[in-house]
This record gives sequence, C-alpha cells and structure tokens, in this order.
Amino acid sequence: MQLDYLATVLLSSLSSASILLIATLGLAVVYGLMGVINLAHGEFLMVGAYSALTATQIGLPYPLAIPFAVAMTMLIGAIVELLIIQRLYGRIFDTMLATWGLGMVFNQGAVLLFGTVSPGIGMPQWNFSIGAYSLAVYPIAMIFVAIVMLTFIYVLMTKTVYGMKARASIQEPQMAQAIGIDSTRVNTMTFAIGCGLAGFAGAILLPIIPATPSMGLFFAVKGFLAVVVAGPVALTGTAATALGLGGGASITASYMSSVFGDVFFFLATALLLWLYPMGISSRWRRKL
Amino acid sequence: MASEAVGAIKMFQKLHKNAGLVFPTLATILALSMAGFLDPYLAFVATSWVIFGLLGLSLDVIWGRGGLLSLAQTAFYGLGGYFGAVIAINLAPSTGMTLIWALPSAAIFGAIIAAALGYVIFFSRMGALQSTILSYTFTLLLWTVTQTFRLDVGTAVIGGDNGLSNIPGVILGFGPDADRLGPNGAFAATVAVSACVYFFTRWLMRSNFGKLVDCIRIDIEKTELLGYDIRKVQVLNFAYSGAIAGIAGAMFALWANYLNPSIFSVQEALLVPIYVLVGGLGTLSGAFLGALAIGGLSFWLGGGAAGGQTTLILGAVLVLLVLFLQNGFLGALDKIWRLYLPDPNDAARNAGAVKIDTDVLEDILKDATAHAGPAKSLSTDEAFKQFGGVIPVNKVTRDFVPGQPYALIGPNGAGKSSFLKTCVGIYRPEGGSILLDDDDITKAPIFDRVHKGMGVKNQKPQVFGEITVQENLWIAAYARTKNSANADKVSQRILGMLGMDGQSAVQASALSHGQQQWLDIGMVLCLAPRVVLLDEPAAGMTNEETRELSLLVRTLAKHTTVVVVEHDMEFVRTLEGHVTVLHQGQLFAEGDIDTLRANDAVLDVYLGRGEHV
Repeated sequence: MQLDYLATVLLSSLSSASILLIATLGLAVVYGLMGVINLAHGEFLMVGAYSALTATQIGLPYPLAIPFAVAMTMLIGAIVELLIIQRLYGRIFDTMLATWGLGMVFNQGAVLLFGTVSPGIGMPQWNFSIGAYSLAVYPIAMIFVAIVMLTFIYVLMTKTVYGMKARASIQEPQMAQAIGIDSTRVNTMTFAIGCGLAGFAGAILLPIIPATPSMGLFFAVKGFLAVVVAGPVALTGTAATALGLGGGASITASYMSSVFGDVFFFLATALLLWLYPMGISSRWRRKL
Repeated sequence: MASEAVGAIKMFQKLHKNAGLVFPTLATILALSMAGFLDPYLAFVATSWVIFGLLGLSLDVIWGRGGLLSLAQTAFYGLGGYFGAVIAINLAPSTGMTLIWALPSAAIFGAIIAAALGYVIFFSRMGALQSTILSYTFTLLLWTVTQTFRLDVGTAVIGGDNGLSNIPGVILGFGPDADRLGPNGAFAATVAVSACVYFFTRWLMRSNFGKLVDCIRIDIEKTELLGYDIRKVQVLNFAYSGAIAGIAGAMFALWANYLNPSIFSVQEALLVPIYVLVGGLGTLSGAFLGALAIGGLSFWLGGGAAGGQTTLILGAVLVLLVLFLQNGFLGALDKIWRLYLPDPNDAARNAGAVKIDTDVLEDILKDATAHAGPAKSLSTDEAFKQFGGVIPVNKVTRDFVPGQPYALIGPNGAGKSSFLKTCVGIYRPEGGSILLDDDDITKAPIFDRVHKGMGVKNQKPQVFGEITVQENLWIAAYARTKNSANADKVSQRILGMLGMDGQSAVQASALSHGQQQWLDIGMVLCLAPRVVLLDEPAAGMTNEETRELSLLVRTLAKHTTVVVVEHDMEFVRTLEGHVTVLHQGQLFAEGDIDTLRANDAVLDVYLGRGEHV
C-alpha cells in the first residue's frame, strides 16, 4: 500500500463525508431545534439545485446563483411551515407523512417543469495531484465548505438572539413562551433556515451532483439516518455520524465497491441504533 | 312503544359493535356476486385495488394497532412477492395450483424478514422515530440492492432492474394442464383470499393477543409493569403484519405476472399509509376502503394504475389527509354513529364510593399468597442513580420486609420517586444492587421483576384510557393467571371491592383522577404482588377515600411488603408504620412518624431552614 494512495483515499473519503454533512445539516437544524423530521428535505435540496441552475441559465454568475437558491428555498420553507408544519406541532409522525407527501409533490412538479434529464453546469476542472494520483479540487474544497457551514450554524445558534430563542423554545417550550418568546415565529424561522441550508447544499454541490428531480433522495436517506442515529444533540451528533458513517462508507467503497459502501452505511447504522436505541448523543451532556 | 325503542337501540348498538363483521361480509358477498358479470378490464384493475387493500391491512396491524409507523411494508410485500413468484414459477408447470404454493411461502418469508427487522427494533427498545426511519431505510436498501441483483432459481430468472417475468397467473386447478383463471375469476379468488385474511386478522386483534397489542400502543410502560414481555408481542405482531404483506405481494405477482425493483420504490411505499389514512387508522377494514377509493380515483382520472400525475395528486392527498381528516372515512362515520348511541361513559358520573371490605381483601390476598407464594422482602444495597450532575438516588441501602407498611417521605426532589423507579427497573442504576429476597434483580428487565413479584403504581395513575375499566383489570389479572376464566374471576372480585361494578363498561379515560388512582391500585392488586410499591396513591382522593386507602395499605402490609411514597403526612401517620426520610437522594432519618416530627433536622429539610438545606 503506497502512502500516496492512502492519502488520496483518506482525502476523498473525507470529502464525500463532508458532502454528506453539507446535505444533512439543514435536516439536523430542523430536527434539533424543532423536533421535526422533514422528509421533504431532499426535495428542498433539489429545489436549491434547480434554482441555482435556472439562475445561471438566465445569466447570473454561479457565486450569485447560490444566494438566490438559498433565498428561494427559505421562502418556500417559510410558506410550508406556515401552511403545514405549524398545524402539526407535536405530531411528529403526522409531520413526517405530510412532508413526505409534499416531497412527492415537489419531485413530480420538478419532473413536469424540468424533465428528468438536466444539463450540467459548466465549471472549470482544476486538479491537483498527490504522488501518482490526481484529484479534482472542487470536491476537496467541500471539506472547507462543511467546516464553514458548521461554524456558521454554531455562531448563529449561540451568539445571536434568534439562536438563543430557538434553543430556549426547544428545551423548555412553556418557559420560553412564558418569558415572551413567540415560539411559533421562531419555528417558522428555524424551518426556513433548515430549508435554506438544504438549498445552499443543492446549489454548492451542483458542480458535483447535477440537478435531477430525484437527486435529493440519495442524500436525504443517508441524511435521515445520520440525524436519527445522532439523536437529541443534533448538530454535534450529526457532524460525528455524518463523518463517521459517510467516511466509513466511502473508504469501504474505494476498497471494495459502491454497493458495499452503501451496505456498510446501512449496517453500521443498524448497529449503532442497536447499541444506542435513542441515538448516540442521548447521554451527552452538551445540548447543541 | 318504549320497549320497541329500547329494542331498536339495542339492535343499533349490536350492529355498531359488530360493524367490522357485518359490513365486510356484505362487501365480500357483493364483490363475489359481481365478479361474474364485471367488465373484464375493470375486474382486472379492481383486483389490484383489493391487493393494495390487503397491503394496507398489513400496515394497519402494525401501525393502527401496534403503534409503529412502519415504512417497510412494501419491502415485505416485494420480498414476499419475489419469493412466492419464484416458487410458483418452478412448481406451477408440474402441479398447477399456484395459490397453495405461493401464498404460504410468501407469508412465511414476509414474516421471517419482518421478525428479523422487528427483533432489531423491539429488542433493542429503539425509539419510535428511530424505528420508523430504520424501516424506511430497509425498503430503500432493497430498492438499491435489487437494481443489480441477479439470480437464477430453477426456471425463475431474477434479472436486476429487468425484473422477474413469466410469473404464472392465478391457477386453482391441479395438474400440469390446469387453466389459469381469467380476470373475473382472479378477481373473485383475490377477494376470497383477502376476506379470509381480513376475518382472521379481525379475530386475532380481538383475541387476548390483540388486546395486548392494543395495550402496548396505549401505554407501553404500563403494559410492561403488568409483567408482559412486550418485546415478544411486538415482534410477533410485526411478523404477522409481514406475513399479510407477503401474501399481498404474492397475489400481486400472480396478478401482474411480472415484478421489478420498483415495487420497493418510494412511490409504492407512499401509497400504503395513504390507503390506511383514507379509510381510517386502526379500523382494519378501512385499508380496503382506502385502496378502493384511491384506486377508483386514479382509474377515474384515467391513469389506471398509479403513475405520472397520479403521484402528484396522491402526494397532495396525503398532505390534506394528515391535515384535515385524521381518523379517515370510517373514523368520521363512527363518530357520527356514536352520537346516536347511548354513551357508556355516562356511568362514570354516578360512581359509588370505594369501600374496602377487609374480609374480602384478606380473602383476595390469601388467595394471592396461595398462588404466588409468600411475601418477599426488597432490599437495596448502595443503589446509585445519576442523571448528568443530578444524583437522585445516592447510595441508598435499605431493607423492606413484610409486616408493616413503609413510608418514604421527603421534600420535592428528594429522590423518592426515582428510588421507586430504580427498584422496579424503569431507571437502570449505575451502581449498587437491588435484591428481591435473595434474588439479584439489579439488571433484570421490568417485566421480569414483575414476574418475580413486584407490583408498582407510579405517581401519575397509569390506566389504559381507551379500554373499559373491566378490561383494564382483566388485562392485569391475565398477566398473572394466563387464563381467561381465572382472569375474569380475579378482575370481577377486585372490581367489586373498588365499588366500580356500575362502571365496568366505562372507558378508563372518562374516570376522575381519584377513580383512576383506585383503578391503577386495583390493577396492581390483580397482579397479586409480593412487594407493593405505591407512589403518591392518595393524590386526588377525598378524605374518605384516603381513609379507605390507609386501611387497604395496612391490610396489604400484613400479607406483603409495602412501600408508599406520600406527601400527605396525616395519611402517613394513619399507616402506623416505619417512616424513612430521603433528602438529596440519601437516607436522612428514619423511625416512626412521631419521633421524626420531633426531629429538628427533619423539620429543617422540610421547611427549608437551617444548615441541612
């Protein structure tokens, strides 16, 4: 085993774990701060990707297409929260079913609007090499994007008034309302942010994962697993599970095959749930 | 006239009670008689609706009854379909008759897979959300894997995303040259199979097994506190639902003559909860109604089977259903029907006073001793429980022996309830040990401790709200006797002692807080416990009731070990037993109530003054 091969495998595995984390963070925020599992998360990612794609097609440069996608998904997310999620507070499985149905509507809507095949986005291909192996820059850059996203969410949740209200609302809902926090509005904001993060993920990953109506599903499934295995401490827990499961699956995939990678992911998930039936962070003392 | 009206109401009530039998029977007869002259194409399409109804039924068993939203039903359905189809392909050419091969094998296969998944979910006591997501993953894993899965089994060729073709149709005759049924015959056969499965399921869900499944859904902790190994019941129920899904899958394979991995797809999985929600969750027959409505709708929209825009509409339908029609069509109908029936919960308002007859109670307790053995002692040795920085049970060492009641007192947050919960196993201690006589039960699951003789009433009264008072007591008595007739007898006696004869048909949720306390205590008595732990039994009771309770506890203590947590000092005084004061998770003082009342340190703790706080 050459050192350069090992470094390549590690780096690209870290990269794919980061991609998974990017796609999952919005879900973790919504689950961690609202206790809601948004089964339409993957479709919001898809909406973000199509928004960015459409923006570039009408001539917007790619860096500007990303904020456009975030704004679009946040707007749609806020509307969905007001119309659907808000009526179902405290009914987690009903929320799941409703967002599942919503996801199907989005999915089918995208098929009708854009067709099932979409053009990719033209991006220059930069490469760099480690020893005898060449790696594309953009996927590796996702490691930094993931770190930036994590830091952003951490700061948002700990240093801003909104973040503190949101954390207060999930930890002690009645107390939060008693001291005058309008938890309904906070929740609308949280859901919109969660969807915005999904939109950001869809847009930033567009050069790697082309927009298709069902693109979200792949990430969403692994994302749900990462979040659910993470348990109550959604943010830190999800970072840990996404890196562990995603990285492990990617390493398995590079030594065996992609099917084995998936099998590793699902089996490791089942094993973790067996060992920690309420999620790995159920006994952690930190709360974010 | 009046008697005629009463008779009519009785009839009406009876019909309501047996609606799940009468109307499906009528529907089956109607469908079978229509099978002869139905347009063949309509018969062909309608067959799929019945199959989807069967699939919906499998979800209703595990979700509406069992309480787990399983998104793996299409996985069992698909796997059952593939397995049954492979068997049918290989055996049909020589023996004909596809049903007797395909259906049992698909049912068994579906049940085994569901049991395996259920074992992982229920034996690890996975959270509800985790379980649902894991079941969804399982379906999607199959979807990915089957795309490339190729295998030849005899003459059957499973060709990845090319699917499995050449599946024989529904053949009823035997021998190599038996004819396959036409669309109308296949429709009739499918209806007959589905009707059999439905009526069997209805019978099963009304049997003792079904009652347990209901209780687990309503209050899983209480069911375990009655001594039932809930995990086994849940796995069995899941396996049964897997078997139904497997049968549905095999029928689907025989109907379509072709299977491919799209059977595991999200679209397919989405439909199942829709069927159940449209018809009415937990109603069993609702699933068929839902499948008929959705199938009919998409047929009428021109799509035939689901596909294209249908998905869009169905997604929107699911959202609307969840938002606006929670109990489905049958649930709404039932609500209207009940308006015209006398309310059985009326009786809750004129409940008689509880009157503990010590002779009857002594009788019951002697009986219990005869069946369950002599009273046991409970001891804890350095029991230790920690939640983060809070230590509610801090190295408590105490013996409780039969003969006199023990009272645990202490200010709020002293760790009294936590101590009881540690003893019964709701909390797992981090250190120390708990002994029942000489039996170390520190690591035993709750139901095992109850088997060994513990009976617990938690602080909040735990009764099964949706079922009647009599059924509550019965299910408790059945946990010990394992015999319906004996359970009837025991529950009847306790019911009489609680003075609730008039309320036996009242739903437990309609009782007042104090009555629920009594019912909960009654359920504990049904278990004939050798050690009784009561957490704030007097809360919500009137003065007279508290006096009766005191009498009950003192009588109990003559025959068993009794530990009571209570705030009501007057009540504790009347117990004339041993009193232990807990403070910050530790033993603080003990003795009889008068000594403790004279103890300055105890007063400091209670009143929050001085250096002991």
